[in-house]
Amino acid sequence: MTASLRAQGLNKSFGGVRAVQNVSIAVPDNSIFALIGPNGAGKSTLLNLLSGIYQPDSGSLEFAGRDLIGLPAHQRVRLGIARTFQKIRLFKQLTLLENVRAGFHIHQDAPFWEYLFRGSAGRFHDEAHELLEFVGLGARAAERAGALPYGRQRMLEIARALATRPRLFMLDEPAAGLNAAEVDFLLKRLEQIWQRGVTVVVVEHNMDLVMNVAQRVFVMDHGEPLFEGTPREVQANAGVVEAYLGGEFAA
Amino acid sequence: MTSRRVAIGVAILAIAAAPWLLGTPYWRGILVLGAMNVLLALSLNLVIGYTGQLNLGQSAFFGIGAYVSTILIKTYGWNFWLAGLAAVLAAGLLGLALAAFAVRLRGHYLAIASLGFAVITYQVLLNWEDVTEGVRGIYGILPPVPSTAGLFYVVAGIALAVYLLLDNLIRSPIGDTLRAIREDEVSAASLGINRAVWKAFAFGLGAAIAGLAGVFYPGFVGTLVPDAFGIIESFTMMAMVIVGGMGTMIGPVIGAIVLTFLPELLRGFGELRLMIYGLALMLVVLFMPGGMVQAWNALRRRMS
Amino acid sequence: MPDLLALVVQQSINGIYLGCLYVMVALGLTLIYGVLNQINFAHADFVTVGAFTAFFTATRFATKVLGLPDTGGYLLSLVAALGAGALLGLAVNAAVFAPLRRRGTDELRPLIATIGVSVLIENGQLALFGPIPYQFDSPLARETLRVGRIFVSAQSLLVMAVSVAAIAALYAFMRFTFIGKALRAVAQDRETAGLMGINPNLVIALTIVIASALAGMAGALLGPVVVLTPFTGATLIVKAFAIVIIGGFGNMEGTIMAGLLVGVIEAFTVQYLGSGLIDLVVFAMLLTMLVVRPTGLIAERKEENV
Repeated sequence: MTASLRAQGLNKSFGGVRAVQNVSIAVPDNSIFALIGPNGAGKSTLLNLLSGIYQPDSGSLEFAGRDLIGLPAHQRVRLGIARTFQKIRLFKQLTLLENVRAGFHIHQDAPFWEYLFRGSAGRFHDEAHELLEFVGLGARAAERAGALPYGRQRMLEIARALATRPRLFMLDEPAAGLNAAEVDFLLKRLEQIWQRGVTVVVVEHNMDLVMNVAQRVFVMDHGEPLFEGTPREVQANAGVVEAYLGGEFAA
Repeated sequence: MTSRRVAIGVAILAIAAAPWLLGTPYWRGILVLGAMNVLLALSLNLVIGYTGQLNLGQSAFFGIGAYVSTILIKTYGWNFWLAGLAAVLAAGLLGLALAAFAVRLRGHYLAIASLGFAVITYQVLLNWEDVTEGVRGIYGILPPVPSTAGLFYVVAGIALAVYLLLDNLIRSPIGDTLRAIREDEVSAASLGINRAVWKAFAFGLGAAIAGLAGVFYPGFVGTLVPDAFGIIESFTMMAMVIVGGMGTMIGPVIGAIVLTFLPELLRGFGELRLMIYGLALMLVVLFMPGGMVQAWNALRRRMS
Repeated sequence: MPDLLALVVQQSINGIYLGCLYVMVALGLTLIYGVLNQINFAHADFVTVGAFTAFFTATRFATKVLGLPDTGGYLLSLVAALGAGALLGLAVNAAVFAPLRRRGTDELRPLIATIGVSVLIENGQLALFGPIPYQFDSPLARETLRVGRIFVSAQSLLVMAVSVAAIAALYAFMRFTFIGKALRAVAQDRETAGLMGINPNLVIALTIVIASALAGMAGALLGPVVVLTPFTGATLIVKAFAIVIIGGFGNMEGTIMAGLLVGVIEAFTVQYLGSGLIDLVVFAMLLTMLVVRPTGLIAERKEENV
C-alpha cells in the first residue's frame, strides 16, 4: 500500500512549549486515517504542519514525492491537499453558493481578459450546486452562510473544501458540536468521499466516528506519537487507555 | 442581463443630459468633480469594500496621478494622454508598494501604515520643490478638452467604463477570490488563494484608478498644490464609500454623488457645510453601516 | 564648554521638551487602546481643539475679560484646554464608543466612526477659524534661562514639569489606586472584570476622559511649538501612531520611551533637514517598525490562534 503523505521526525515548539515532538507518520493512500489523543496532544498542530499553516522546526515532510518543507499553505492546495478547521471559518457574508464557488479558485483557468470584458461567473456553477447537494444544502444555495445553523456550517465548509478536488482531505474535529444525527450524516459523507478515491485524515475526539469509519488510527499524547494501528488494536492497547484515563475506552 | 443593459442606457442618458440640466459653468464644474469622486470612490471600494484591506492612504495615488502627468506635460512636453497613461502606471506601481505592507499587516496596523504612506507621499510632493514646485504650486494647467461640459463627458465616460469593467471583475471568479480574502484570509489560503498576489492586484488596480482620477484633476482646477492630497482627502473618499454602501458596486457611486452635491446645496451654511462629510460618516457607521444601499434595500423590503 | 557638546546638550533638551509633549499625546492614545482595543483617530484633533481653546482663552478671555497678566492667562488656558479635552472625550464616548460597544460590532466600525469625528472636528475648526496658521505665543517662551552655553526657555521648563507631573500622576494612578487597577483589569479581560463587580462602562468612560483631557492639555502646551491650523491634527495623529507602535500598543512605559525617542530624533534632525523632512524621517521610521516588529520594541508577540 502506498503512502503519499509522509513525515519523519517532525518537531514544533511555541516559545518553549513542545507541541509536536519527533512525530513520524505515513498515511496510506485512499484510507480513512484518524488522528486521536487527549486535549493538548498536538493533533491540531500536526494538522497545521501538514497543511502548511505552520512550518516545522525540524523534520521532513513530503506528499506525492514533493517536499513540503517551506511550501506555503496555498501552494499545497494545488498538490491536492485540502482541509477544514476546528473553529469554523466560513465566508459569512457570502451565500452558500459563493462560498463553494470560491473553492474552485485553483481550477479557474480562463484568461484575465475574459473576466474583465465578459464578467463570466466561471465554469463551475453546476459543480458548485452538486457539492451543495452532496452535503444536503442544495436548497439553501442563495442563503447567507452566516445565517446557517452550526451543524450545517460544518457541512458547508466541507463542500467548499471539496471544490478544490483534493487527493488528501484533512478535517480538524469535524464532529465537534454536532448532534447524533448530524454525526451520522457526516460519517456517511466521509465514507462517500473516501469511496471516490480520496485519502481522508480526521482529527477527532468523537470515538463513534473514529471507531466506525477509520481504517487506521494514530494516537498522540503530549506531542509525541503513542501508538498506531487499527481501531480494534487501539481500543485494546493499555497505553492508549491509560492516556485517556479510562474515559471513552471502557472496554 | 437585459436589466443591466437598461441601467447602462439610463446612465448614459443621465450623463449626456446632466450638463444641460445643470447649465451654469459653476454647476458643470461640480459635475466634473462628481465624476472624479465617483472614480476615487470606486477605486477605494475595490480595496476596502471587496478585498477588506483598510487602506487610508488612497489620496497618495490621487496625488501621484496628478503630479506625474502634470510634470510630464509641463516639463517634458508630453502629450496629455500619454502622460496620463504613464501617471496611471506610476500610481499603480506605488499601489503595489503599499500592498507589500498589506501582506504583512492587518487591521489597525495596516490602517496606520497606509496613513504613514500617504503622509510620506504628501511630504515628498511638498518638499521636492525642484520637481513639484511644492507649496508654490504649478500654474496654468490646461484641461485636455476646452469646455467644462466636454471635460465632464470625458471623465464621466471613463467613470462609467471603469464601473462596468470593475463590475465584470467582481462578478467573475476574481470577485470571489477578493471577497474570500476579505471574509477570512486563513481559510482563503486553505483554498489555494495566494493572498500576496491578490492583495497586490487589488491595491495596484485601486491605486491606478485613483491615479486616473488624478490625471484630470489639475486641468480642472488650473493649478496644482500638494494640499489637495492630504490625509483629509483620504478620509473624504472613505466617507463617500461608506455613506454610499461599502462592498457594493453602486454604493460608492451614490456616495460620491451625494457627498459632492450635498455640500453645494448647503452653501447657505458657509464653511460649516464641510462638516457634512464627518457627520454623514458618523451617522452611517452608527445607524446604517451598509450605507444608502442598505437603506434602499430596507425600504424596498418594507414596501413589498 | 566645547561647541559640539553644548550643541548636543541643547538639542537633547529641546528633544526631551518635544518628546514630553509627544508622550502626553501618545499616552492618551495608548490608554484608550489598552482599555478598549480601539483606536481613536480623532485623538490628535482633541489636541488641536485644546490648542485653539487655550489660544482663545489666553488671548481673548483671560487677558481682556478677566484682566489677568500674561502668564496667569496662559496657565488658565491650560486648565481650559484640559477641560475642553475632557468634554470632547466624554462626548465622543457617549456618541460613538458606548453605543457601538452595546451593539457588539467588529473593530472596524468604531475606527471609521472616529475618522468621521476627526473630519467633523477638522472641518468645523476650518469653518470657525479659517485655514491660516495661528500664531500662538506663550508668554513663557520669551523668558529664557541660561546655563553656560545652554538656553532653556521657561516654556520648556513648564512643559517638562507639567508632563512629568502628569505622567507620574497617571502612573501612580494606574498602579496604586483602586480605579487604576480596575482600569487595567478591564483592559486585560473585560468580562471577568465585570463579573468581579467593576463597571466596565464607567471605567472605559473614565479612561477616555483622562486620555482626552491629557490630549487637550498637550494641545495648550504644543500650540506655541507647532504650526497651528485646523488640520494640525492630521499630521500629528500619524506621529502619535508612530510613537504608539514603536512603544507597543497599550504599553505605557514603551510609549513614554518611544515619545522621548521621537522628540530627540526630531530635535537633532531639524538642524540638518528642516521640519518638512522631519515628518518624512519619522514616518519612514514608522513604516520600518511596522515591517520589522509591528508589536513594538518591547511588547510580547501573540501567536495567531487557528
